[in-house]
Amino acid sequence: MHISEGVLSAPVLVTGAALAVTGISVGLKKMDYDKIPEAAVLSATFFVASLIHVPMGPSSVHLVLNGINGLLLGWLCFPSILVALALQAILFQFGGITVLGVNTVIMALPGLMGYYVFGNLIKGKNRLLSLAAAFACGFFSVLLSGIFVAGALLFTGKSFISAAKLILLAHLPVMIIEGIITLFCVAFLKKVKPEILGGVYEKGS
Amino acid sequence: MKKGHNTRFSFIILLTAIILIGSHVPAKAHKVMIFAWVEGDTVFTESKFSGGKKAIHAPVEIFDKDGKKLLEGKTDNEGEFSFKIPKVTDLRIVLNAAMGHKAEWTVPESEIREAGAIVEKKSTAEPSGPIAVGLSKKEVQKIVEDSLDKKLRPIIRMITESRNTKPSLTEIIGGIGYIFGLMGVALYFKNRGKKR
Repeated sequence: MHISEGVLSAPVLVTGAALAVTGISVGLKKMDYDKIPEAAVLSATFFVASLIHVPMGPSSVHLVLNGINGLLLGWLCFPSILVALALQAILFQFGGITVLGVNTVIMALPGLMGYYVFGNLIKGKNRLLSLAAAFACGFFSVLLSGIFVAGALLFTGKSFISAAKLILLAHLPVMIIEGIITLFCVAFLKKVKPEILGGVYEKGS
Repeated sequence: MKKGHNTRFSFIILLTAIILIGSHVPAKAHKVMIFAWVEGDTVFTESKFSGGKKAIHAPVEIFDKDGKKLLEGKTDNEGEFSFKIPKVTDLRIVLNAAMGHKAEWTVPESEIREAGAIVEKKSTAEPSGPIAVGLSKKEVQKIVEDSLDKKLRPIIRMITESRNTKPSLTEIIGGIGYIFGLMGVALYFKNRGKKR
């Protein structure tokens, strides 16, 4: 899912960086005292998740965990994912520094969207519905990330349809796995610490 | 009370993360690389994802010093691709694996010249005739080169592999450490703001 250095054209890189800066500044504004440890823990989780690989065809794909990141952090997932991606770029050479902005948007924006679309359902009383929404959140976050990658490649002159097809096919197992992981996380949190699912707005900040 | 809950929660996630690290044994980095070397008038390339998985059927493009595309091709089932040297210049070999992965390797002009010189020397030396019973100089040279190639292949492979660094445990733990360090910094500044 990480786009390598030197693949994208300059306008795509600049747009990505600008969007990422916007997301990060909103995220940092919303970051309050209680949320910092949570953001750090989820950042660490995201950082490690990319090392868990699912072999798939000629390549192999890895977990992303942007769904649960967005769901629990809301806007804060931008800084959280940026930190993890920056460290991955420096330590593992995944992606790269110039594509950091684009990669951050690709992974964080779907998480944020999942937070807005599924957040309320997940917080809801109906247990079955909230678990289904958790699965959907994990599933669609990866799906959307794949579409964003294809979109970024499109503006660089690659064919959208073939790139999208390839990415989506390769990530289908990841989508399902992440859906299940998100589902279990939500089920666990509902039992242990339901207030955390409220995201940053719970405390009215 | 609430604070204790928070720490416990963080602790559980941290533990899970550590268990996940432990279970990632056959780590495959999400990175692709290409490696090329010259033998005679042919350039051989090998492409793989770090972790050792071969990049099969991936398009490879070769550019000269000025960025002009000289030729293109695809890696075979072994992730290998070879081509005759089209031109004596710096060759920039670019591999485009799927999903936005890209790698490149440059074969410097000097390397090509050296390899080419051997070939030329071979052909000029030929008229001097047989040096041993039934064997021309060219044949001897060929035999030597062939066996050298055979012997050197594993070494070349080893070099490729050693370039192929997968994330080590140190780096992973280090990364997590950085994240928590940043958390500490953020908390420190928040805390200072609060006290004021």
